[in-house]
Amino acid sequence: MKPARNVRKIMLLFFRDLAIARSYRAVFALELLETLFGVAAFYYLSRFIDTPDLQRLLPQGGSYFAFVLVGFAFFDYLNVAINALDRSLEEARSNGTLEYLLVTQTSLPVILAGSALYPFVLLSLRTVVYLGWGMLFFGFPAGQADWPGAVLVLAVSILAFAGLGVLSASYLLIFKRGNPVKWLFLGVAGLVSGVMYPVNVLPAPLQWIARLVPVTYSLEAMRAAVLGHASIAELWPSLRILLVFAAVLLPVSFAAFSWALRRTKITGTLTHF
Amino acid sequence: MPRCGDFGITALVAAEALRVEQLEKFFPPSLVGWRAMLHPFVPPTIPALRGISFEIAPGEIVALVGLNGAGKSTLLRILTTLLLPTRGRASVGGADVAREPARVRRQIGFHGGSDASFYARLTARENLQLFSELNNLGRSEADRRIAQVADLLNLGEILQRQVRTLSTGTVHRLGLARALLHQPSVLVLDEPTRSLDPLAAAEFRRFLRDEVVRRHGATLLFASHTLAEVEQLAGRVALLHRGLLLAFESPERLRADTASPTLEQAIEILVRRAESRS
Repeated sequence: MKPARNVRKIMLLFFRDLAIARSYRAVFALELLETLFGVAAFYYLSRFIDTPDLQRLLPQGGSYFAFVLVGFAFFDYLNVAINALDRSLEEARSNGTLEYLLVTQTSLPVILAGSALYPFVLLSLRTVVYLGWGMLFFGFPAGQADWPGAVLVLAVSILAFAGLGVLSASYLLIFKRGNPVKWLFLGVAGLVSGVMYPVNVLPAPLQWIARLVPVTYSLEAMRAAVLGHASIAELWPSLRILLVFAAVLLPVSFAAFSWALRRTKITGTLTHF
Repeated sequence: MPRCGDFGITALVAAEALRVEQLEKFFPPSLVGWRAMLHPFVPPTIPALRGISFEIAPGEIVALVGLNGAGKSTLLRILTTLLLPTRGRASVGGADVAREPARVRRQIGFHGGSDASFYARLTARENLQLFSELNNLGRSEADRRIAQVADLLNLGEILQRQVRTLSTGTVHRLGLARALLHQPSVLVLDEPTRSLDPLAAAEFRRFLRDEVVRRHGATLLFASHTLAEVEQLAGRVALLHRGLLLAFESPERLRADTASPTLEQAIEILVRRAESRS
Protein backbone atom coordinates (compact mmCIF):
# COMPACT_ATOMS: atom_id res chain seq x y z
CA MET A 1 0.00 0.00 0.00
CA LYS A 2 2.70 2.43 1.05
CA PRO A 3 4.90 2.10 -2.08
CA ALA A 4 1.80 2.55 -4.28
CA ARG A 5 0.80 5.60 -2.28
CA ASN A 6 4.31 7.04 -2.55
CA VAL A 7 4.31 6.52 -6.32
CA ARG A 8 0.97 8.36 -6.46
CA LYS A 9 2.42 11.21 -4.46
CA ILE A 10 5.49 11.38 -6.71
CA MET A 11 3.18 11.63 -9.72
CA LEU A 12 1.12 14.27 -7.92
CA LEU A 13 4.23 16.41 -7.46
CA PHE A 14 5.16 15.82 -11.10
CA PHE A 15 1.74 17.10 -12.20
CA ARG A 16 2.15 20.09 -9.87
CA ASP A 17 5.36 21.03 -11.72
CA LEU A 18 3.78 20.31 -15.08
CA ALA A 19 0.83 22.60 -14.26
CA ILE A 20 3.22 25.36 -13.18
CA ALA A 21 5.28 24.91 -16.37
CA ARG A 22 2.11 25.00 -18.50
CA SER A 23 1.35 28.42 -17.08
CA TYR A 24 4.54 29.60 -18.82
CA ARG A 25 3.80 28.09 -22.24
CA ALA A 26 5.93 30.46 -24.31
CA VAL A 27 9.07 29.68 -22.29
CA PHE A 28 8.48 25.98 -22.77
CA ALA A 29 8.15 26.31 -26.56
CA LEU A 30 11.14 28.65 -26.83
CA GLU A 31 13.34 26.25 -24.86
CA LEU A 32 12.60 23.49 -27.36
CA LEU A 33 13.31 25.84 -30.25
CA GLU A 34 16.56 26.89 -28.60
CA THR A 35 17.86 23.32 -28.89
CA LEU A 36 17.80 23.73 -32.68
CA PHE A 37 20.42 26.47 -32.43
CA GLY A 38 22.58 24.27 -30.19
CA VAL A 39 22.40 21.36 -32.64
CA ALA A 40 23.16 23.63 -35.62
CA ALA A 41 26.20 25.08 -33.81
CA PHE A 42 27.59 21.59 -33.13
CA TYR A 43 27.00 20.63 -36.76
CA TYR A 44 28.94 23.58 -38.17
CA LEU A 45 31.69 23.15 -35.59
CA SER A 46 32.08 19.53 -36.57
CA ARG A 47 32.13 20.43 -40.29
CA PHE A 48 34.95 22.83 -39.50
CA ILE A 49 37.09 20.39 -37.53
CA ASP A 50 36.04 16.94 -38.81
CA THR A 51 38.79 15.02 -40.62
CA PRO A 52 39.27 11.30 -41.35
CA ASP A 53 42.09 11.30 -38.76
CA LEU A 54 39.80 12.73 -36.08
CA GLN A 55 37.07 10.21 -36.96
CA ARG A 56 39.55 7.36 -36.49
CA LEU A 57 40.17 8.60 -32.91
CA LEU A 58 36.50 8.40 -32.02
CA PRO A 59 35.51 5.12 -30.28
CA GLN A 60 32.68 4.32 -32.72
CA GLY A 61 34.18 6.11 -35.69
CA GLY A 62 31.67 8.18 -37.67
CA SER A 63 31.28 11.94 -37.54
CA TYR A 64 32.40 14.22 -34.74
CA PHE A 65 28.92 15.80 -34.91
CA ALA A 66 27.24 12.58 -33.75
CA PHE A 67 29.90 12.09 -31.04
CA VAL A 68 29.53 15.55 -29.55
CA LEU A 69 25.72 15.64 -29.87
CA VAL A 70 25.36 12.47 -27.79
CA GLY A 71 27.97 13.81 -25.37
CA PHE A 72 26.17 17.08 -24.70
CA ALA A 73 22.68 15.60 -24.74
CA PHE A 74 23.49 13.05 -22.07
CA PHE A 75 25.86 15.16 -19.99
CA ASP A 76 22.79 17.25 -19.25
CA TYR A 77 21.40 14.32 -17.25
CA LEU A 78 24.26 14.73 -14.78
CA ASN A 79 23.53 18.44 -14.73
CA VAL A 80 19.86 17.87 -13.97
CA ALA A 81 20.58 15.08 -11.44
CA ILE A 82 22.79 17.44 -9.48
CA ASN A 83 20.63 20.54 -9.86
CA ALA A 84 17.04 19.23 -9.71
CA LEU A 85 16.88 18.60 -5.96
CA ASP A 86 18.73 21.82 -5.19
CA ARG A 87 16.28 23.81 -7.28
CA SER A 88 13.32 22.05 -5.77
CA LEU A 89 14.55 22.84 -2.24
CA GLU A 90 15.35 26.44 -3.14
CA GLU A 91 11.95 26.96 -4.76
CA ALA A 92 10.12 25.46 -1.79
CA ARG A 93 12.08 27.75 0.53
CA SER A 94 11.51 30.84 -1.56
CA ASN A 95 7.78 30.33 -2.17
CA GLY A 96 7.25 29.40 1.49
CA THR A 97 5.88 25.91 0.84
CA LEU A 98 8.75 23.95 2.40
CA GLU A 99 7.40 24.01 5.98
CA TYR A 100 3.92 23.07 4.78
CA LEU A 101 5.23 20.21 2.66
CA LEU A 102 7.21 18.95 5.64
CA VAL A 103 4.21 18.85 7.97
CA THR A 104 2.21 16.73 5.53
CA GLN A 105 2.13 12.97 5.85
CA THR A 106 4.67 12.64 3.06
CA SER A 107 8.32 11.96 3.75
CA LEU A 108 10.99 14.33 2.48
CA PRO A 109 12.60 11.71 0.19
CA VAL A 110 9.22 11.28 -1.55
CA ILE A 111 8.80 15.05 -1.82
CA LEU A 112 12.28 15.37 -3.32
CA ALA A 113 11.83 12.43 -5.69
CA GLY A 114 8.52 13.87 -6.87
CA SER A 115 10.05 17.29 -7.33
CA ALA A 116 12.99 15.90 -9.32
CA LEU A 117 10.80 13.92 -11.71
CA TYR A 118 9.60 16.80 -13.86
CA PRO A 119 13.11 18.12 -14.68
CA PHE A 120 14.11 14.61 -15.82
CA VAL A 121 11.02 14.18 -17.97
CA LEU A 122 11.53 17.64 -19.45
CA LEU A 123 15.18 16.86 -20.14
CA SER A 124 14.23 13.59 -21.82
CA LEU A 125 11.81 15.49 -24.04
CA ARG A 126 14.54 18.02 -24.78
CA THR A 127 16.96 15.20 -25.62
CA VAL A 128 14.47 13.64 -28.02
CA VAL A 129 13.96 17.04 -29.68
CA TYR A 130 17.71 17.61 -29.70
CA LEU A 131 18.41 14.32 -31.44
CA GLY A 132 15.35 14.84 -33.64
CA TRP A 133 16.72 18.15 -34.97
CA GLY A 134 20.07 16.41 -35.57
CA MET A 135 18.38 13.61 -37.47
CA LEU A 136 16.03 15.81 -39.50
CA PHE A 137 18.44 18.53 -40.59
CA PHE A 138 22.02 17.40 -40.00
CA GLY A 139 22.24 13.68 -40.74
CA PHE A 140 22.52 12.34 -37.18
CA PRO A 141 22.64 8.52 -37.62
CA ALA A 142 19.69 7.64 -35.38
CA GLY A 143 18.79 4.61 -37.50
CA GLN A 144 21.76 2.60 -36.28
CA ALA A 145 21.03 3.13 -32.58
CA ASP A 146 20.08 0.39 -30.12
CA TRP A 147 17.35 2.41 -28.36
CA PRO A 148 16.38 -0.20 -25.72
CA GLY A 149 20.06 -0.38 -24.77
CA ALA A 150 20.23 3.43 -24.67
CA VAL A 151 17.16 3.60 -22.39
CA LEU A 152 18.74 1.00 -20.09
CA VAL A 153 22.00 2.99 -19.96
CA LEU A 154 20.01 6.13 -19.21
CA ALA A 155 18.05 4.50 -16.37
CA VAL A 156 21.18 3.08 -14.76
CA SER A 157 23.00 6.39 -15.23
CA ILE A 158 20.22 8.31 -13.50
CA LEU A 159 20.49 5.88 -10.56
CA ALA A 160 24.24 6.47 -10.44
CA PHE A 161 23.90 10.27 -10.70
CA ALA A 162 20.99 10.53 -8.24
CA GLY A 163 23.29 10.03 -5.28
CA LEU A 164 25.33 13.06 -6.39
CA GLY A 165 22.13 15.11 -6.51
CA VAL A 166 21.18 14.02 -2.99
CA LEU A 167 24.70 14.87 -1.75
CA SER A 168 24.40 18.29 -3.36
CA ALA A 169 20.99 18.87 -1.71
CA SER A 170 22.47 17.82 1.64
CA TYR A 171 25.13 20.47 1.27
CA LEU A 172 22.51 23.05 0.33
CA LEU A 173 20.40 22.22 3.39
CA ILE A 174 23.33 22.87 5.70
CA PHE A 175 25.31 25.65 4.01
CA LYS A 176 22.60 27.28 1.81
CA ARG A 177 24.93 28.59 -0.95
CA GLY A 178 28.25 28.07 -2.77
CA ASN A 179 27.88 24.37 -3.38
CA PRO A 180 31.31 22.71 -3.94
CA VAL A 181 29.68 19.34 -4.64
CA LYS A 182 28.15 20.86 -7.75
CA TRP A 183 31.36 22.61 -8.74
CA LEU A 184 33.45 19.49 -8.18
CA PHE A 185 31.28 17.04 -10.08
CA LEU A 186 30.11 19.21 -12.93
CA GLY A 187 33.49 20.91 -13.41
CA VAL A 188 35.61 17.78 -13.17
CA ALA A 189 33.14 15.65 -15.12
CA GLY A 190 32.94 18.28 -17.89
CA LEU A 191 36.71 18.19 -18.22
CA VAL A 192 37.49 14.48 -17.99
CA SER A 193 34.40 12.44 -18.85
CA GLY A 194 34.63 12.75 -22.62
CA VAL A 195 31.78 15.08 -23.46
CA MET A 196 33.61 16.89 -26.29
CA TYR A 197 36.58 14.59 -26.89
CA PRO A 198 37.41 10.95 -26.23
CA VAL A 199 38.93 10.28 -22.82
CA ASN A 200 42.04 8.75 -24.41
CA VAL A 201 43.24 12.15 -25.67
CA LEU A 202 43.68 13.29 -22.04
CA PRO A 203 47.00 13.01 -20.17
CA ALA A 204 47.33 9.83 -18.10
CA PRO A 205 46.51 11.42 -14.67
CA LEU A 206 43.29 12.92 -16.05
CA GLN A 207 42.39 9.62 -17.68
CA TRP A 208 42.80 8.04 -14.25
CA ILE A 209 40.50 10.67 -12.72
CA ALA A 210 38.00 10.08 -15.54
CA ARG A 211 37.66 6.45 -14.33
CA LEU A 212 36.44 7.79 -10.95
CA VAL A 213 33.60 9.76 -12.54
CA PRO A 214 30.34 7.89 -13.30
CA VAL A 215 29.46 10.07 -16.28
CA THR A 216 32.54 8.72 -18.14
CA TYR A 217 31.02 5.21 -18.13
CA SER A 218 27.61 6.61 -18.87
CA LEU A 219 28.82 8.46 -21.98
CA GLU A 220 30.87 5.49 -23.17
CA ALA A 221 27.89 3.19 -22.85
CA MET A 222 25.47 5.70 -24.36
CA ARG A 223 27.66 6.26 -27.42
CA ALA A 224 28.19 2.53 -27.77
CA ALA A 225 24.40 2.01 -27.74
CA VAL A 226 23.41 4.97 -29.91
CA LEU A 227 26.33 5.16 -32.34
CA GLY A 228 27.81 1.65 -32.16
CA HIS A 229 24.61 -0.46 -31.87
CA ALA A 230 26.20 -2.34 -28.96
CA SER A 231 24.31 -5.26 -27.42
CA ILE A 232 23.40 -5.38 -23.72
CA ALA A 233 26.30 -7.83 -23.21
CA GLU A 234 28.69 -5.30 -24.75
CA LEU A 235 27.23 -2.55 -22.58
CA TRP A 236 27.41 -4.65 -19.42
CA PRO A 237 30.97 -3.67 -18.27
CA SER A 238 29.97 0.02 -18.18
CA LEU A 239 26.52 -0.74 -16.72
CA ARG A 240 28.10 -2.84 -13.97
CA ILE A 241 30.39 0.02 -12.92
CA LEU A 242 27.47 2.47 -12.97
CA LEU A 243 25.51 0.10 -10.72
CA VAL A 244 28.46 -0.01 -8.31
CA PHE A 245 28.46 3.80 -8.25
CA ALA A 246 24.72 3.74 -7.51
CA ALA A 247 25.12 1.07 -4.81
CA VAL A 248 27.78 3.15 -3.04
CA LEU A 249 26.50 6.69 -3.64
CA LEU A 250 22.80 6.22 -2.90
CA PRO A 251 23.10 4.92 0.69
CA VAL A 252 25.95 7.35 1.47
CA SER A 253 23.99 10.29 0.09
CA PHE A 254 20.77 9.33 1.89
CA ALA A 255 22.70 9.04 5.16
CA ALA A 256 24.24 12.47 4.48
CA PHE A 257 20.82 13.92 3.70
CA SER A 258 19.22 12.48 6.86
CA TRP A 259 22.07 13.92 8.91
CA ALA A 260 21.75 17.32 7.19
CA LEU A 261 17.98 17.44 7.69
CA ARG A 262 18.31 16.54 11.36
CA ARG A 263 21.02 19.17 11.74
CA THR A 264 18.79 21.89 10.27
CA LYS A 265 16.02 20.91 12.68
CA ILE A 266 18.51 21.34 15.52
CA THR A 267 19.90 24.67 14.30
CA GLY A 268 16.51 25.98 13.17
CA THR A 269 17.80 26.79 9.69
CA LEU A 270 15.57 24.50 7.63
CA THR A 271 13.80 27.34 5.90
CA HIS A 272 16.68 29.81 5.86
CA PHE A 273 18.13 30.96 2.54
CA MET B 1 -2.15 6.78 30.60
CA PRO B 2 -5.55 5.07 30.32
CA ARG B 3 -6.15 2.09 28.08
CA CYS B 4 -9.22 1.28 26.06
CA GLY B 5 -10.08 -2.27 25.20
CA ASP B 6 -12.31 -3.46 22.39
CA PHE B 7 -12.81 -7.13 21.54
CA GLY B 8 -9.45 -8.05 23.00
CA ILE B 9 -7.56 -5.30 21.17
CA THR B 10 -5.86 -2.98 23.58
CA ALA B 11 -4.67 0.40 22.45
CA LEU B 12 -2.88 3.14 24.27
CA VAL B 13 -4.85 6.33 24.33
CA ALA B 14 -3.26 9.59 25.37
CA ALA B 15 -5.18 11.42 28.10
CA GLU B 16 -3.82 14.68 26.78
CA ALA B 17 -3.82 16.07 23.26
CA LEU B 18 -0.51 17.85 23.80
CA ARG B 19 2.08 17.29 26.45
CA VAL B 20 5.27 19.25 26.97
CA GLU B 21 7.73 18.16 29.66
CA GLN B 22 10.76 20.18 30.70
CA LEU B 23 11.15 21.24 27.08
CA GLU B 24 14.31 23.13 26.22
CA LYS B 25 15.45 24.53 22.92
CA PHE B 26 18.76 26.22 22.27
CA PHE B 27 20.00 27.60 18.95
CA PRO B 28 23.61 28.07 17.90
CA PRO B 29 24.80 31.69 18.07
CA SER B 30 24.81 33.42 14.70
CA LEU B 31 28.26 33.90 13.21
CA VAL B 32 29.47 36.30 10.56
CA GLY B 33 32.15 36.20 7.87
CA TRP B 34 33.94 32.91 7.21
CA ARG B 35 32.86 31.68 10.66
CA ALA B 36 29.30 31.47 9.34
CA MET B 37 30.44 28.25 7.61
CA LEU B 38 30.84 26.72 11.07
CA HIS B 39 27.31 27.67 12.18
CA PRO B 40 25.80 24.20 11.68
CA PHE B 41 28.46 22.67 13.92
CA VAL B 42 28.54 25.25 16.71
CA PRO B 43 27.01 23.99 19.96
CA PRO B 44 23.56 25.53 20.54
CA THR B 45 23.86 27.98 23.42
CA ILE B 46 21.18 30.62 22.75
CA PRO B 47 18.08 29.70 24.77
CA ALA B 48 14.68 29.89 23.09
CA LEU B 49 12.76 27.62 25.48
CA ARG B 50 13.95 26.96 29.02
CA GLY B 51 12.37 23.91 30.59
CA ILE B 52 8.68 24.51 30.00
CA SER B 53 6.01 21.96 30.90
CA PHE B 54 2.25 21.86 30.36
CA GLU B 55 -0.54 19.60 29.20
CA ILE B 56 -3.52 20.35 26.99
CA ALA B 57 -6.59 18.14 27.17
CA PRO B 58 -8.47 17.00 24.05
CA GLY B 59 -11.01 19.62 22.95
CA GLU B 60 -9.27 22.42 24.82
CA ILE B 61 -8.42 25.82 23.32
CA VAL B 62 -5.13 27.28 24.48
CA ALA B 63 -3.62 30.59 23.46
CA LEU B 64 0.11 31.12 23.40
CA VAL B 65 0.98 34.71 24.20
CA GLY B 66 4.16 36.62 24.85
CA LEU B 67 6.37 39.36 23.50
CA ASN B 68 8.30 38.91 20.27
CA GLY B 69 11.14 36.45 20.86
CA ALA B 70 9.35 34.79 23.78
CA GLY B 71 9.61 31.37 22.13
CA LYS B 72 6.06 30.99 20.78
CA SER B 73 7.00 30.12 17.20
CA THR B 74 9.82 27.86 18.39
CA LEU B 75 7.35 25.91 20.53
CA LEU B 76 4.83 25.64 17.67
CA ARG B 77 7.57 24.43 15.33
CA ILE B 78 8.73 21.79 17.77
CA LEU B 79 5.16 20.54 18.15
CA THR B 80 4.78 20.36 14.37
CA THR B 81 8.09 18.43 13.99
CA LEU B 82 9.84 21.25 12.11
CA LEU B 83 12.36 21.67 14.92
CA LEU B 84 13.95 19.18 17.29
CA PRO B 85 14.01 19.92 21.02
CA THR B 86 17.41 20.22 22.69
CA ARG B 87 16.22 18.54 25.88
CA GLY B 88 12.91 17.44 27.36
CA ARG B 89 9.93 15.92 25.62
CA ALA B 90 6.89 16.99 23.66
CA SER B 91 4.12 14.76 22.40
CA VAL B 92 0.98 15.11 20.33
CA GLY B 93 -1.76 12.56 21.04
CA GLY B 94 0.84 10.42 22.80
CA ALA B 95 3.29 10.48 19.86
CA ASP B 96 6.72 11.90 20.63
CA VAL B 97 7.63 14.75 18.27
CA ALA B 98 11.28 13.70 18.02
CA ARG B 99 10.87 9.93 17.85
CA GLU B 100 7.55 9.52 16.04
CA PRO B 101 7.23 12.55 13.74
CA ALA B 102 5.08 10.68 11.19
CA ARG B 103 2.49 9.84 13.88
CA VAL B 104 2.52 13.44 15.04
CA ARG B 105 1.97 14.76 11.51
CA ARG B 106 -1.07 12.51 11.09
CA GLN B 107 -2.70 14.32 14.00
CA ILE B 108 -1.85 17.96 13.42
CA GLY B 109 -2.99 20.71 11.14
CA PHE B 110 -0.64 23.68 10.98
CA HIS B 111 -0.83 27.20 9.67
CA GLY B 112 2.18 29.36 10.35
CA GLY B 113 0.57 32.65 9.53
CA SER B 114 2.79 33.28 6.51
CA ASP B 115 1.04 34.75 3.47
CA ALA B 116 3.45 33.21 0.98
CA SER B 117 3.04 29.49 1.39
CA PHE B 118 1.33 28.36 -1.81
CA TYR B 119 2.21 27.75 -5.44
CA ALA B 120 1.27 31.12 -6.85
CA ARG B 121 0.78 29.89 -10.44
CA LEU B 122 -1.63 27.12 -9.40
CA THR B 123 -5.27 27.72 -8.58
CA ALA B 124 -6.50 27.66 -4.99
CA ARG B 125 -8.22 24.33 -5.71
CA GLU B 126 -5.07 22.79 -7.22
CA ASN B 127 -3.09 23.86 -4.16
CA LEU B 128 -5.64 22.40 -1.75
CA GLN B 129 -5.86 19.19 -3.78
CA LEU B 130 -2.08 18.81 -3.68
CA PHE B 131 -1.84 19.26 0.09
CA SER B 132 -4.88 17.03 0.73
CA GLU B 133 -3.41 14.20 -1.23
CA LEU B 134 0.01 14.64 0.38
CA ASN B 135 -1.96 14.17 3.61
CA ASN B 136 -3.22 10.82 2.35
CA LEU B 137 -6.73 11.87 1.33
CA GLY B 138 -7.92 10.16 -1.84
CA ARG B 139 -9.00 12.37 -4.75
CA SER B 140 -12.75 12.08 -4.10
CA GLU B 141 -12.34 12.51 -0.35
CA ALA B 142 -10.09 15.53 -1.01
CA ASP B 143 -12.70 17.09 -3.30
CA ARG B 144 -15.42 16.54 -0.69
CA ARG B 145 -13.31 18.10 2.07
CA ILE B 146 -12.27 21.02 -0.13
CA ALA B 147 -15.93 21.76 -0.83
CA GLN B 148 -16.77 21.59 2.89
CA VAL B 149 -13.87 23.73 4.07
CA ALA B 150 -14.28 26.22 1.21
CA ASP B 151 -17.91 26.59 2.22
CA LEU B 152 -17.03 27.16 5.88
CA LEU B 153 -14.30 29.68 5.07
CA ASN B 154 -16.18 31.35 2.26
CA LEU B 155 -13.63 30.36 -0.38
CA GLY B 156 -15.98 28.83 -2.93
CA GLU B 157 -15.76 31.79 -5.31
CA ILE B 158 -12.00 31.83 -5.57
CA LEU B 159 -11.16 28.14 -5.87
CA GLN B 160 -10.58 28.40 -9.63
CA ARG B 161 -8.35 31.44 -9.38
CA GLN B 162 -4.56 31.37 -9.37
CA VAL B 163 -3.25 32.09 -5.89
CA ARG B 164 -1.14 34.99 -7.19
CA THR B 165 -4.34 36.88 -7.96
CA LEU B 166 -5.79 36.56 -4.44
CA SER B 167 -5.71 39.15 -1.66
CA THR B 168 -3.53 38.61 1.40
CA GLY B 169 -6.54 37.89 3.60
CA THR B 170 -7.89 35.32 1.16
CA VAL B 171 -4.52 33.56 0.94
CA HIS B 172 -4.50 33.48 4.72
CA ARG B 173 -7.94 31.84 4.78
CA LEU B 174 -6.66 29.38 2.20
CA GLY B 175 -3.85 28.52 4.61
CA LEU B 176 -6.36 27.84 7.33
CA ALA B 177 -8.37 25.70 4.93
CA ARG B 178 -5.25 23.67 4.20
CA ALA B 179 -4.67 23.10 7.92
CA LEU B 180 -8.22 21.78 8.32
CA LEU B 181 -8.48 19.56 5.24
CA HIS B 182 -7.39 16.25 6.75
CA GLN B 183 -9.51 16.79 9.88
CA PRO B 184 -6.61 16.94 12.33
CA SER B 185 -7.30 16.24 15.99
CA VAL B 186 -4.89 19.03 16.98
CA LEU B 187 -4.79 22.37 15.23
CA VAL B 188 -1.67 24.50 15.65
CA LEU B 189 -2.04 28.05 14.38
CA ASP B 190 0.38 30.95 14.46
CA GLU B 191 -1.61 34.20 14.54
CA PRO B 192 -4.70 32.74 12.88
CA THR B 193 -6.51 36.01 12.16
CA ARG B 194 -3.52 38.26 11.45
CA SER B 195 -4.43 39.19 7.88
CA LEU B 196 -8.20 39.01 8.20
CA ASP B 197 -10.50 42.02 8.31
CA PRO B 198 -12.44 42.41 11.62
CA LEU B 199 -15.61 40.76 10.32
CA ALA B 200 -13.81 37.84 8.75
CA ALA B 201 -11.69 37.46 11.90
CA ALA B 202 -14.77 37.32 14.12
CA GLU B 203 -16.42 34.83 11.82
CA PHE B 204 -13.31 32.70 11.73
CA ARG B 205 -13.03 32.70 15.52
CA ARG B 206 -16.64 31.52 15.74
CA PHE B 207 -15.87 28.82 13.20
CA LEU B 208 -12.84 27.63 15.17
CA ARG B 209 -14.71 27.53 18.46
CA ASP B 210 -18.08 26.17 17.30
CA GLU B 211 -17.17 23.92 14.38
CA VAL B 212 -13.61 22.79 14.83
CA VAL B 213 -13.47 22.48 18.59
CA ARG B 214 -17.03 22.07 19.92
CA ARG B 215 -18.52 20.09 17.05
CA HIS B 216 -15.52 18.04 15.93
CA GLY B 217 -13.70 17.87 19.27
CA ALA B 218 -10.36 19.08 17.95
CA THR B 219 -7.78 20.67 20.20
CA LEU B 220 -6.59 24.15 19.34
CA LEU B 221 -3.27 25.74 20.23
CA PHE B 222 -2.76 29.14 18.73
CA ALA B 223 -0.26 31.96 19.13
CA SER B 224 -1.66 35.45 19.06
CA HIS B 225 -0.84 39.05 19.84
CA THR B 226 -4.54 40.00 19.76
CA LEU B 227 -5.64 39.75 23.37
CA ALA B 228 -9.33 40.28 22.60
CA GLU B 229 -9.11 37.20 20.43
CA VAL B 230 -7.36 35.30 23.20
CA GLU B 231 -10.10 36.21 25.71
CA GLN B 232 -12.83 35.32 23.27
CA LEU B 233 -11.42 31.95 22.27
CA ALA B 234 -9.04 30.50 24.82
CA GLY B 235 -9.95 28.39 27.81
CA ARG B 236 -6.38 28.78 29.03
CA VAL B 237 -3.50 31.11 28.24
CA ALA B 238 0.15 30.02 28.12
CA LEU B 239 2.25 33.09 28.77
CA LEU B 240 5.81 32.72 27.52
CA HIS B 241 8.56 35.17 28.33
CA ARG B 242 12.18 34.70 27.26
CA GLY B 243 11.67 30.97 26.91
CA LEU B 244 10.01 30.52 30.30
CA LEU B 245 6.38 29.66 30.93
CA LEU B 246 5.19 32.38 33.29
CA ALA B 247 1.57 31.29 33.52
CA PHE B 248 -0.81 28.63 32.25
CA GLU B 249 -4.25 29.64 33.42
CA SER B 250 -7.65 30.78 32.20
CA PRO B 251 -7.87 34.48 31.25
CA GLU B 252 -10.23 35.04 34.21
CA ARG B 253 -7.78 33.43 36.63
CA LEU B 254 -4.90 35.49 35.26
CA ARG B 255 -6.88 38.66 35.76
CA ALA B 256 -7.97 37.62 39.26
CA ASP B 257 -4.48 36.54 40.36
CA THR B 258 -2.99 39.85 39.30
CA ALA B 259 -6.01 41.94 40.36
CA SER B 260 -6.13 43.35 36.83
CA PRO B 261 -9.22 44.59 34.99
CA THR B 262 -7.86 43.43 31.62
CA LEU B 263 -5.82 40.54 30.28
CA GLU B 264 -3.36 43.00 28.81
CA GLN B 265 -2.65 44.43 32.25
CA ALA B 266 -2.41 40.97 33.80
CA ILE B 267 0.20 39.96 31.25
CA GLU B 268 2.09 43.19 31.77
CA ILE B 269 2.23 42.59 35.53
CA LEU B 270 3.37 39.00 35.14
CA VAL B 271 6.09 39.98 32.66
CA ARG B 272 7.30 42.82 34.94
CA ARG B 273 7.45 40.44 37.91
CA ALA B 274 9.50 38.00 35.86
CA GLU B 275 11.81 40.81 34.71
CA SER B 276 12.38 42.04 38.26
CA ARG B 277 13.14 38.51 39.47
CA SER B 278 15.76 38.06 36.77
